[in-house]
Amino acid sequence: MKEIIAIIRPKKMGATKDALDKLGVPSLTAIPVFGRGKQKGIAAEISCDIRPERLTQGDAGGMKYIPKRLISLVVGNDDVDIVVNTIITINQTEQIGDGKIFICPVDNAVRVRTDEQGESAIL
Amino acid sequence: MKMIKAIVRPEASDAVSDGLAEAGFFSLTKIQAFGRGKQKGITAGSVHYDELAKTIIIIVVEDNDVKEVLKLIKCRAYTGNFGDGKIFIIDVEDAYTVRTGSRGL
Repeated sequence: MKEIIAIIRPKKMGATKDALDKLGVPSLTAIPVFGRGKQKGIAAEISCDIRPERLTQGDAGGMKYIPKRLISLVVGNDDVDIVVNTIITINQTEQIGDGKIFICPVDNAVRVRTDEQGESAIL
Repeated sequence: MKMIKAIVRPEASDAVSDGLAEAGFFSLTKIQAFGRGKQKGITAGSVHYDELAKTIIIIVVEDNDVKEVLKLIKCRAYTGNFGDGKIFIIDVEDAYTVRTGSRGL
C-alpha cells in the first residue's frame, strides 16, 4: 500500500474528484492548507498568464503563502501509477503552482467498522 | 527523500518558515491543527484545555538535508516550555511535479 499526498489548486478539486471516481478510487481526505513552492509564493492563485519577467523579480509583489488543497489517498501498489498519472493530467495548467505529488509507503490499514486489516481495508 | 512533519506553536510557524527560507528551503505546506501531547492539554486556573491550537509544517527534502532542516526547526521553534511540539520524519519514495509531470523535487 502507498499513500499518495497531492497538493493541488483548490479550484481543481471537483475535476480531480470526478476523475478519481471514474477510476474507482473515490475515497480521499482533503485538507485546506497554505504553502509555497520553489518560486517563493509569487505565482498566486490566479487564472491569467504570468509574464516571465514578473517571475524573475524575486520577492517583489509575491504572496507569502498560497491557499492550496492537500488530498491524501491510500491505494494498492498496482494502482499508484494510474492514480498519479490521472492527477497530473487533470491538474496541468502549464502555469506555475500546479502542485506536487508525494508517494509514501504505508505499513497497514484498519477499517474501524469491521476491523479488516491490510489491502481489504482500503478496497 | 524524507517528509518532515513538524507540529509547532502557531506563533512560531512564521519564524520557522523564515528560517527555512534563509537556508534555501522555500517550499513548505502549513496546516492549522488542534491536538494534545503527553501533558494531556493544559490547565489554566479552573479551566482545562484538552486540545491546543498548533500548526503542522510539512516539508519534503532530500535525505542529506534532513539534519540541517531538523536543526533549523528545533532552534526556531524552541521556547523551553511544554508544548513546543514534535517533529516526525516519514519516508517518501517518489515525488512528481504536476505542471511538468517530472519526477523528483
